[in-house]
Amino acid sequence: MDDRIIDKGGPGAATAATEIPIVEVDSHGGHVLEPEWKRLPIGPDHILYSVVVGLALFPILMGAAGHHLADDMPDEDTHPFFPDHFWPYPIIAVVMLVAVGLLAYFVQKNLQLEPSADPRAATIPRPDWYFLFLFQFIKLGPELFMAVVIPTVAGLALLVWPFIDAIAGPRVAKRLGWKGWPVPGRNIITGTGWVLFLAFIALLTLWALAGPQFCLPWFINNPVCGA
Amino acid sequence: MDWSSVSEVAIPHPREIQVAVVEWLDERYPFTKSVDEALYQRVPNFANAFYYCFGGMVFILIVLQLLTGILLSLYYVPDATGIPAPAYTSVQFIQNTVYLGWLIRGVHFWGANLLIIMVLLHMARVYWTGSYRAPRELNWMVGVVMLLLILAFSLTGYLLPWDQKAYFATEVTIKIAGLPPPPQLGEFIREILQGGPVVGPPTLQRFFTIHVFLLPALITLLMYVHFRFIRAHGISEPM
Repeated sequence: MDDRIIDKGGPGAATAATEIPIVEVDSHGGHVLEPEWKRLPIGPDHILYSVVVGLALFPILMGAAGHHLADDMPDEDTHPFFPDHFWPYPIIAVVMLVAVGLLAYFVQKNLQLEPSADPRAATIPRPDWYFLFLFQFIKLGPELFMAVVIPTVAGLALLVWPFIDAIAGPRVAKRLGWKGWPVPGRNIITGTGWVLFLAFIALLTLWALAGPQFCLPWFINNPVCGA
Repeated sequence: MDWSSVSEVAIPHPREIQVAVVEWLDERYPFTKSVDEALYQRVPNFANAFYYCFGGMVFILIVLQLLTGILLSLYYVPDATGIPAPAYTSVQFIQNTVYLGWLIRGVHFWGANLLIIMVLLHMARVYWTGSYRAPRELNWMVGVVMLLLILAFSLTGYLLPWDQKAYFATEVTIKIAGLPPPPQLGEFIREILQGGPVVGPPTLQRFFTIHVFLLPALITLLMYVHFRFIRAHGISEPM
């Protein structure tokens, strides 16, 4: 590349690098990539390569890939990430952007401001829709228990759920005489539990949405009304 | 005239410059190899099912929230002194006067709502297909923490317009956050969040800081960890 004769004996020679060692790893970490002749012709000499090279940031940040399921699957059961798996995402992004843009244009009433905050006013607040179930749940029992104890326990249970499932699951399966402990989508216990849990939250939300005039008898704070 | 010297100084084709740049980069870090590994790694066909894209949608929405949030912060004033407070009038200014301000604020608002929906769908999918199972337990836990971060985002963001509903909803939130016994602990939590005896200007300052500095930094970090785990584990086996 450079034919100049470099004086290797001069001052600073000890630190001057005369050759850049080429970082080379010949394999792709044991992964079989899409063969070159099947790829889109976007190589280093293509005008779009500068766009594609931005994607290199992804593996640089993410480190090497582990051993994936696809590495052990026959070719016909897999497809390359680009473009086969990638192409829907830009479309999804545009569709979502258009959707929120249309919502912003047509449903501006949700964004209208109330008067500026005045601590002297007495307003009964109503939380956003995704907190309505909790708002309604708190009314069903002693405040500390419903607002702090149960949500904390539920949150922690959610956090360590993989371990609950892995430890308690096989024992339950053994007691029931099952061959294994299936994933929730095929498990009558964890699957039904999940559906019931979601139904409970949906019911509480609907109850809150029904409004302050919609009241039902309850053991405590009788009757309990919507929000 | 000797034309051969002219051809030597001719401007190279852009493609040649690009190839030279790529070669220069490749001598220092295996960029081309990285691109190849990013793009041409194979993905199982079952991952084409529509419910596998919820996580990607969450990612797109979080990026959208970060971008619109930065734009909103150009005009928003986190100051709650007086009635109407500068915070309130700045949101009004964004909504009514700033060019396309209504659109940016609307996209941020609706994006936040859509984000909650997509996060819940993503989580439901991961639960349903049992993707939280070994060796992916840690990634499930990172995800649950991110769910809590998203909820903290919505709670703190709700106060920022500083209108009546924002104020009184936050009063309820802080009252609940101050419930845990003993009373000193509850009082301490309330004091930390509120920055004073009542919900006031220090509260807005704190919620703004949490919403704009603390939570975005945390969620960016955790998204990185989340993706790094996915990169290590690959997509989970079908149900």
